[in-house]
Formats: sequence, structure tokens, C-alpha cells
Amino acid sequence: MSIIYVLIPIAILFVMLGLAIFFWAVRSKQFEDLDKEGFSILFDEDNQDKPDK
Amino acid sequence: MVKPSCFHCQLSVLTGDTFQLTLNGQQAMFCCAGCQAVAQTIIDSGLGDYYKFRTEAAAKAELVPSELQASLQQYDSAEVLADISNKRENLTEIELSVSNMSCAACAWLIEKQLNKQPAIAKISINSSTQRALLCWQPEQLPLSEILLLINRLGYQASPFVADEQESLFKAELNRYLKRLAVSGIMTMQVMMLAFGLYFGEYSGIDQSHEGYLRWISMLLTLPVVLYAALPFVSSGWRSIKARQLNMDVPVSLAIYYTFFASAYATVMQTGEVYFESVCMFTFLLQLGKFFEYRARAQARDATSNLLKIMPVTATLLQNDQQHTVSARRLSPGNTILVKPGETLPADGVVLSGNSTVDESMLTGEYTAISRQPGDTVLAGSINHDGLLTITVSSALAHSRLGQIIQLQQHTLQTKPRLVEKTDKLARYFVERLLLIAAATFALWYFWLDPERAFWVTLSVLVATCPCALSLATPTAITCALAQLNRKGILVKNAQALETLPELSHIIFDKTGTLTEGRFSIANIEHLTSLASVALNESELLNVIANLEQSSEHPIARAFKGYLQHSLPLTNVIISVGHGISATWQGQQLKVGSAAYCEVPLHQQTRNNKANVFVLLNQQLLAAITLADVLRPGAAELVANLQLQGFRVGMLTGDSSGQAAELAAQLQLDFMQQDCTPTQKVEAINQLVASGHKVLMIGDGINDSPGFNAAHISVAVESGADLSKNQADVVMLQPDIRLLATLIAAGKLAAKVIKQNLAWAVGYNLIIIPLAVAGLVSPYIAVLGMSFSSLLVVSNSLRLIKK
Repeated sequence: MSIIYVLIPIAILFVMLGLAIFFWAVRSKQFEDLDKEGFSILFDEDNQDKPDK
Repeated sequence: MVKPSCFHCQLSVLTGDTFQLTLNGQQAMFCCAGCQAVAQTIIDSGLGDYYKFRTEAAAKAELVPSELQASLQQYDSAEVLADISNKRENLTEIELSVSNMSCAACAWLIEKQLNKQPAIAKISINSSTQRALLCWQPEQLPLSEILLLINRLGYQASPFVADEQESLFKAELNRYLKRLAVSGIMTMQVMMLAFGLYFGEYSGIDQSHEGYLRWISMLLTLPVVLYAALPFVSSGWRSIKARQLNMDVPVSLAIYYTFFASAYATVMQTGEVYFESVCMFTFLLQLGKFFEYRARAQARDATSNLLKIMPVTATLLQNDQQHTVSARRLSPGNTILVKPGETLPADGVVLSGNSTVDESMLTGEYTAISRQPGDTVLAGSINHDGLLTITVSSALAHSRLGQIIQLQQHTLQTKPRLVEKTDKLARYFVERLLLIAAATFALWYFWLDPERAFWVTLSVLVATCPCALSLATPTAITCALAQLNRKGILVKNAQALETLPELSHIIFDKTGTLTEGRFSIANIEHLTSLASVALNESELLNVIANLEQSSEHPIARAFKGYLQHSLPLTNVIISVGHGISATWQGQQLKVGSAAYCEVPLHQQTRNNKANVFVLLNQQLLAAITLADVLRPGAAELVANLQLQGFRVGMLTGDSSGQAAELAAQLQLDFMQQDCTPTQKVEAINQLVASGHKVLMIGDGINDSPGFNAAHISVAVESGADLSKNQADVVMLQPDIRLLATLIAAGKLAAKVIKQNLAWAVGYNLIIIPLAVAGLVSPYIAVLGMSFSSLLVVSNSLRLIKK
């Protein structure tokens, strides 16, 4: 069971990383509008020349 | 027959195939020229994807009138621009408020279209708040061009200046989000380790492993107690300093006492640890606070477009030259020019010109008032049809509009305070709890068993930890708020919900609340057979609608919906305050008041309610009655409320007979008409002073001082932004029946809170004697605490399902 002495600290590192990313996301205003970004994937980057199939 | 729906706004097409386009080889029908033009622009710009992915239909689009172009240009003046935007190096940054956005696809559409402009460095649109942040180079592309681009897509954009409070709100919301993340994520981790410890307790665990898991749990709990739980400590500390204990005192006591006891147990390798309880408790409380705060922030965002009613620019006349200046810089004595359709930028006296003005912003009444030279006009009212030259008598800040805003801020400070019931309970409870804990410690330390004193005291504190008690109200309120939100009711002040069941009086505003707040056709009487002029009724209305298109008058707007196709009209003459005439197919057409149409007296008395007459070639065709009709469901709502035992009344600024008629029709319990905003406040104050609990529902700015005088205020969807900003509750749908939903939800929430409190208090009363006697081990204590908290939370969750 001594593996937990290695695994738990690694898990904690990941938790810290996750929290840091979350804080960064809050700071870069990604939570201000949760609807819009979900849509961006639906639209093609550039579809001016592409005809509809 | 199923009517085809408009390709753009999906309203049914009443105009046949007048407006259509061929898109991707398919015929698309449109309801009006506006929608057709917008769709054309969208497709031509290669943004047709919008129609594929939007989740909501677009708002009905209006054609971009040529006057708009001119009125937008006033934002281009360097002085005005400096007042409403910020300089960022060589770029200018401005916030725009964009109306008519219905879903996220709209935001994409506008961003895509504007990003094609090389002069625009950045545009980011928030579809939930309907705001856009724009960074661009004004030298290359004037602001008016950008606003026009947005307009062509069917949205209206106008510059917006966010107030300071709003950015503070946003920062606070972000802090809540961070605290929630910290306590939530840490709870998961600590819970995971706690499960290891639970199983260890059961099947035996290595001493060193147990110690290791405890140390890690403590480490992970540190950010929760030192960061996420801090607001409770500071609020609790404030309440101690003010000698008014609130719920945050026992909450922080419980969090920190449990944490330090667990830390002691970890370091000394004795006793039990409760780190997972600390984390979970903090997380649940933070969750409730976050939801409440977010509802308030949302309501604020949606309604704080206060500056939209404050005119930004004014046209100053100096030596017969017109200058566009910022409205804030006007001073008494200046001469300004106000064009039709513009909002008056200052109080003043009419120097020359005739017009009718709409003072609904200030008085709540939509009937236009005619103004001649020498008359006083007020800032914030809208000039309808004539050109006015005005001598400024007081600047915007000191105008009537400014005074109403001041009155409202003043009444806000004297708003009847809603007592937080749980706080009162907490004060009572905390004092006794602390006394009992101290007495227990003394009892065991001095007389019974000094060894066990610490642990018995801990189990007393843990067992009686007011978790369930402090979760009882907030969880129920949070669930009720979420449920109401889904139904389109935004509750900004959570305490309002607790007060709802105690209400005794409900006060309505008339115009715009009980009624639609605009004219619509109530009755058409044919005075000559229409067949004799080869017209049917809808054709006649189409003719009138065509004619009234040239007018800004509210009466004209009643005919707007009847426009089917345009007709060639020549020689259109608007006679301000009387009517409008034109030549149609060589015949003279006149639509207007009785005097304007030279209606004989006996006709007038026969149709004494009719306010619009139609004259074709000196022949009287029809008498039309326009009225402000009741909102659908208003009558049932009033009857329903009276049945529930509420006294229902109306306070209105309207002085006409319509108010009394309406009161009789709805059988209101009391009614007061011809009220100024101050009189409304007085009337409400009288009720409040005699001990009644009052709810006020209204829409206008003239209601907002009254809002603050009442215990609970509700703003209806169509209301002015300022009133929504002040109200405790905002209805997001144009349905007045939601008021009954709100009251029912309040009663239900009160019931659940009562059940929760009964459980929490009852549990505590039973466990305290046992804990004091030392019969409850801390482990049992924590189980009991968790169980009663869970029970309370799941009881509250029932509210969401309803």
C-alpha cells in the first residue's frame, strides 16, 4: 500500500493544476457568456465559397 | 388554412407573397420589407448558417430609416465620443447595448459581420446580457457606420456607459465562482480520502496509513478554511462588532472549531477527524450564496441600461449654427433643437415650434400631450411629430427626471426592512449554544472527568452544529429561486420570498401593468357602407396604416400591425395634435380627431368614445375607438388574489375617467387616481405605517419611488429599465398572471422552511442533553449532523421539482 505515498501527491498536483486552470478561465472572462461558445463549434470557420450540400 | 411563417422572424405572413426571396433555390416568404432586407444582408454576407443553428426566431426587423443614419451620426462628434468611450493607445473601446438578440446565434452573426471590417480590432458580444464590447479605430470607421451595420442585421445597438457598481458586481461574482470551485473540488478530494478512513475504521488500517491520510486531508482542507470560508468569518465578525449576532457566527464557529479539533486530533494522533464535514458544509453554503448572487447579477445586467433613457447628445443652436454636443454639458439658457422622434435632453421652455410629446417616462401615461411656444417640456420625454426649439431651464442632472431618480434613491434608504427570521433564531440559538458548551466543559473539567472534558465539549458542539439550521432557509430559498427563474420570474432580493406569505395588500399601477400600455383598436364603427367606396375593413385599415406610417404619434402606432402593402400616397400633411391627411388615388383622405375631420356634433355624441375618425372625399367613413385594453388575464388575477384574501388596489397617475371605469370593472378594493410619484409613496407609506405588508407591481419610472416604499416590489417585463433595476422581483415574460405563481411559490417555500426548521431545532433539542451527558461519541455526533443536513437539503430540493 506504500504506493499511496507517491500517488496521492501526484493526484494533488493534478488538482492544483485543475484549480489553476479554472482560476485562469474565470479571470479571462470565459464564464461571462456560457451560451455563445457552445455555438461556435456549429459554425464553419469560413463558408463563403462552400455551397450547401 | 395554415398561414406561412416569415423566414426571418417566423411570425405568420399576413401580406401574402408580397415579400419573398429565392434562397439556395428555395422560395422564402417574409412578413415585411424589414425582415426581407435583413435576410438578404445575412445571406449575401455568407452568414446563412445563422438560420440553420439559431434556437430562437429572430425579432421582427424594421427597415432602416434614412433618418436613423442622421441620428446615429451625432455619436461621431469627437466630444460626444470622448464622453462615452475609453481610449486604449490608438484604439477606442466602447460598450454597446444591443437589443433584439434572441439567442447565441445572434451574437455569432454580429461578431462575424463586424470582424470583416479591418478597422475593428475586437468585438465580443455577450448574448445573455445583450452587451457588446467594441475596440476599433474611429478615424478609419466612424461609430455611426458600425451601428448601422448592426442595424442592417436587424438589431438595434446604442452606446452604453456601465456604472461603476456594475463592474464591482462582476468582480464579486467571479470571486464567488472561485470560492465555489475551491470548496467543491477540495470536498471531492477530502471525501475520497475520508472514504479510505471510513473503511479503515471498519476493517482495520495501518497506523501510519491512517496518519498519512489525515495529514493529506488537513492539507487539502486548508484552502477551504483559509480562502473559501473567509466571507462567513468577516460577516460574522461584522455582526459581532455591531452586537447583532447573525447566522454566520455559528457557521464560522462550527467550521473553525471542527477544523481545529480535527487538526489537533491529526497532530496528536488521537480522537476523530471531520475534515470532510468542514469542506462539504462550506461548499453547500457557498453554493446557495452563489446562486442568490448570480440571480441578482443577472437581473442587474438585464436591467441596468439606465443610461439609455438619459439622452446622450443634444443639438445646440449657437448663432443659427447647429452643433452636436454631449447632453451632460448643457446649461440653463442654452437654446437647443429637438427633432421628431428624439428624446428631450433637458427641461426647458418651448421657444418655437408645435409638437406633441410623450411623457410616459415621467408620468406613466401614454397619451401624447401637445406643446406650444411658452409651454414647459421635461427631459426624458419623447418628441413626437414637430420640430421644437427649446430654451434650457435646467440641465439634465437637475431636471424632473433627475429629481425622480433622486427621490427614488432617497426612498431606498428608508425601505421597510425585512427581518431575517433565521437571523433572529440564530441570535437566540447561538447565545444559548455557547453557554451550554461552556457549562458542559466546566462541568466535566471540574467535577466529572477532566480527561474527557475536551471531547465531550467537541461532541456537544459538533452535534449541535447549526448546519441543518443554517441550511434550512438558504437551501429552500435557492431551490425556490431556481424554480421561479425557470418560469420567467427573477427574484433579486431573496428576502422578498420570505415576506410573500405575510402580504396583506397588493397595489397595481394602471397603465402598462393592468393594461397593455399602448393604444389598440377597440372598436370600429362604419358610418358609411364600405362597399360604396369599394373597400373592405382590412383594406381600409391598410390605407390608414400607410398614412399613419408618417407619424410618430402613439395613436399612429396602433395601426402599425395592419400594414399589408404600401400604397402610393402623395401630399402627406401632418397637422400636429389633430390628424394627418394625404391624397390617395386622387381622393383626399383625412384621419384624425373629430374637429379635424369636421364631424357633425350629433355624430360626435353618438360615438362619444371614438377618438379617431376617417374621412374620404368629405365623406365620413368610420369612427374608430382606440383604447388601452386590459392585459390578458388581469381580471382573473385580481379575482384570484381577492379570493386568497388580499386587498387589491390601484394607484395611477391617470386622471381620466378610464381609471375609475377600470377599477369598477375589476372590482378593486381601493383606488386612487391622478397621483404624482410622491403621492404614490405617501399612499403606500400610510398602509405600511398602519402595519400592513404591501406589494407594489408596476412598470414605469414614476412607480419606482413607490417600489422602495413597499415591502416587495415587482416590475413587469415591458417596464422601464430603471424600474426593473429597483424592483425586488422582475418578471421576464409579458404575463401578469405570473404574480399568482410568485405568491404561490412564496407560500410553498415558507412551508418547506418551516418543516426544515422544525426538524433542525427538534433534532438539536434531543441531541443536546445526550451530548452533555457524554453519551454521544463525536463519531455519532457527526453522523447525526450529516444526516440532518442531508434531510434538510433533500426536503428543499422538492421545491425544484414542483
